[in-house]
Amino acid sequence: MNLDDRKWKIVQRHLGYSDDDIAQSFNSVYSRPGKLIQSGLFATLLIWAAIFWLLFSFIAPKVEASEPEQLTVALTGKYPPFSFYDQDGELTGFDVDVSRGVAQELGLDIKIIATEWDGILAGLLSGKFDAIIGSMAITAEREKQVDFSRPYYVSGAQLFVNAENDTEIGSINDLAGRRVGAVLGETFEHYLTEKHPKIETVTYKSTVDIYQDMLNGRLDGFVTDRLVGGYQIQSAKMPFRPAGPLLYREQMGIPMAPGHPILLARINQALEALESSGFMADLHRKWFGPVAADNAAVRSGEMSNRTIALMLLEGFGVTIGIACLSLLCGFLLAVPAGVVLHGKPSPLLLIVRTTVDFVRGTPVLIQLFFVYFGAPQIGLTISPVTSAIITLSINGAAYMAEVVRSGLMAVPPGQKLAARALGLSHFKVFRFVVWPQAFRIAIPALVNSSVALLKDTALVSVISVAEVVRQAQSIISVTYNPMKFYFIVALMFFVFTYPLMKFAGRWEKALKKRGYADD
Amino acid sequence: MIKVTGLEFTYPDGTTALADISIDLSFDDDEHITAIVGPSGSGKTTLLQCLARFLTPGQGSIEIDGIPAISMSEAQFRSKVGVVFQNLNLFPHLNVLDNLTLAPVEVAGMDKGDAEREAMEMLERVGVSNLVRSYPSQLSGGQAQRVAIARALVLKPDFLLLDEPTSALDINTTNALAELLEDLHSSTNFIIVTHDIPFVRKVAKRAVLIQGGRVVSHDLVEKVMHLFLQQNENR
Ligand SMILES: Nc1ncnc2c1ncn2[C@@H]1O[C@H](COP(=O)(O)OP(=O)(O)OP(=O)(O)O)[C@@H](O)[C@H]1O
Ligand SMILES: [Mg+2]
Repeated sequence: MNLDDRKWKIVQRHLGYSDDDIAQSFNSVYSRPGKLIQSGLFATLLIWAAIFWLLFSFIAPKVEASEPEQLTVALTGKYPPFSFYDQDGELTGFDVDVSRGVAQELGLDIKIIATEWDGILAGLLSGKFDAIIGSMAITAEREKQVDFSRPYYVSGAQLFVNAENDTEIGSINDLAGRRVGAVLGETFEHYLTEKHPKIETVTYKSTVDIYQDMLNGRLDGFVTDRLVGGYQIQSAKMPFRPAGPLLYREQMGIPMAPGHPILLARINQALEALESSGFMADLHRKWFGPVAADNAAVRSGEMSNRTIALMLLEGFGVTIGIACLSLLCGFLLAVPAGVVLHGKPSPLLLIVRTTVDFVRGTPVLIQLFFVYFGAPQIGLTISPVTSAIITLSINGAAYMAEVVRSGLMAVPPGQKLAARALGLSHFKVFRFVVWPQAFRIAIPALVNSSVALLKDTALVSVISVAEVVRQAQSIISVTYNPMKFYFIVALMFFVFTYPLMKFAGRWEKALKKRGYADD
Repeated sequence: MIKVTGLEFTYPDGTTALADISIDLSFDDDEHITAIVGPSGSGKTTLLQCLARFLTPGQGSIEIDGIPAISMSEAQFRSKVGVVFQNLNLFPHLNVLDNLTLAPVEVAGMDKGDAEREAMEMLERVGVSNLVRSYPSQLSGGQAQRVAIARALVLKPDFLLLDEPTSALDINTTNALAELLEDLHSSTNFIIVTHDIPFVRKVAKRAVLIQGGRVVSHDLVEKVMHLFLQQNENR
């Protein structure tokens, strides 16, 4: 009894077989090949499971987490309370907190670069950083250059008045003929002089001067950014209150250089998550105090059709790419596997048979997780896309191996004899006579496997591969229109699968006409 | 010359199909066709499969022109002995021409153009040169039979084994086949396994009668036929 036999015996004894059973199973394994599969299957499965378990338990502790990528964002560091340096010289502020929150949500390390407002867009476009999280308002002008995320906060021009004295002032209209302050050159000044000529607009060099004159009663009110004002009230304990609604609104977004729809979509998802988790509301409370409440929730629902189309197409490109590569690898694996399955009983057949059965008998989703989360544990760092391709290749190979096997079975044995009688070598018999026929017979089933594999790519969205389903999810997280976009995705798949299915049907008919597999 | 000595073959299930076969099939200038006849189950196909080296006999030996078949290389053996199967086994995915050129090109290493020229010549000889581009599924039984014979003959074997060549043919095509074999026999010796007696009468001078895996008679066709018919009647 060789080593293998002994291992078998041990396993079988563990399974509760008596020695007699074992002896019998051995006889059947080695003398009557037909029973090889049945008796060996369960035991092999067990051995495989044991091997995997051992592999993982030995290797897992030694593995370190792979280093995450980094998200680089820019802001000015000169715009309190959004970004500024605190007493300890640490960069801090609302935008800094948002940056950290987004990065955490994306699972990336964050790098924040403080740069001048002047060159900040140029820096973004030249790729010095991935995004600007620096309170940039979304304007039509800027949108020509960059792609904006959904707004992450809304602000705008706000009138502030003295909280104790001017209780009768409800809105800017109550201030006709009175003195209202604004910083010289800011949009608020232009707004006041243009839209409210009856108000006496008093300009100052900085907000600090405005607060001074507010406190000593020289001003009846001032207009500044709603959140900046709120922060002053909160941090400097100024006795001001916002009066009336926003004079005009500004939506702040995160601009990115064009051509990164995937990162953009992920950032949008991250922002949405931060909002729904209450993270944003907390930040508003932390930085803007009294004006926080009605600014916390930012909803948009806007995404340009161009961006949507681009995202879906790019996603479908990834889908098709993954499907094609997996099909190719799977097929290349399936041919030898199918040949082994069709061949004479051997240990190799047993291994292939068990593997194929195991893969076919377990959910693709689990296989995907197994590869994706398992690979790092054995020291392999593979990207989600690679994991997806590996999983789908193996899964496709298992199904296609069966197809190849039945294709080979459908070739009449006389064909092989006839080819041998003509003097063809074993390889050439396969290459020129058996395989071409088996392949033609297998084509309809292979096409069906391909269709199944193409559909299975939808599953890899769960390991954050930016294929079309994932892209659709990103779009839906912004637009809140699941029906529409899932239907579009379904159609995209159908456009590919329908001709394939038709083709398979046609081929099958043609095969019958050509007289295959029925002589 | 094919010399069979003490051939015995038992199938894995224990059926002894050939008990003890010894025959000398010597061909000479005016004798190129030998028939092997016998009732159903007598072992004809098994014998042919042994002669074609598809089955390995348990005992006994086969010599081809004085050389033991088992000692020959596959290439050497296949170049000497061709087979036409009962169900022909034409390659359905290849057209007639490609059925004929596959082996010359892939085995003999012949140039594709040369192989096609020779194949055309052979198809003309067997009378189906109009079908070169047809696929096997488009051929009639008789046409397919001729293509199968042509496919074996392009390799110029010294011996060609045919298993029940007339089983799928009607009387006219059977007659045509008989004529064809007579035309072709100058360069190749035929060994025909069959129980089609009229056909044997037409094409062969000598026949081997086997029964129960043994040679009962090896003689002139008329004598063997007589014996065969007599024994069939006795049953
Ligand atoms: N693959 C096989 N396995 C087991 N026994 C077989 C097999 N092929 C043939 N036999 C048996 O061997 C004997 C000889 O069969 P064989 O096919 O050689 O006869 P035959 O003379 O060709 O008959 P027929 O005229 O019907 O074709 C028969 O008893 C048959 O049942
Ligand atoms: Mg027979």
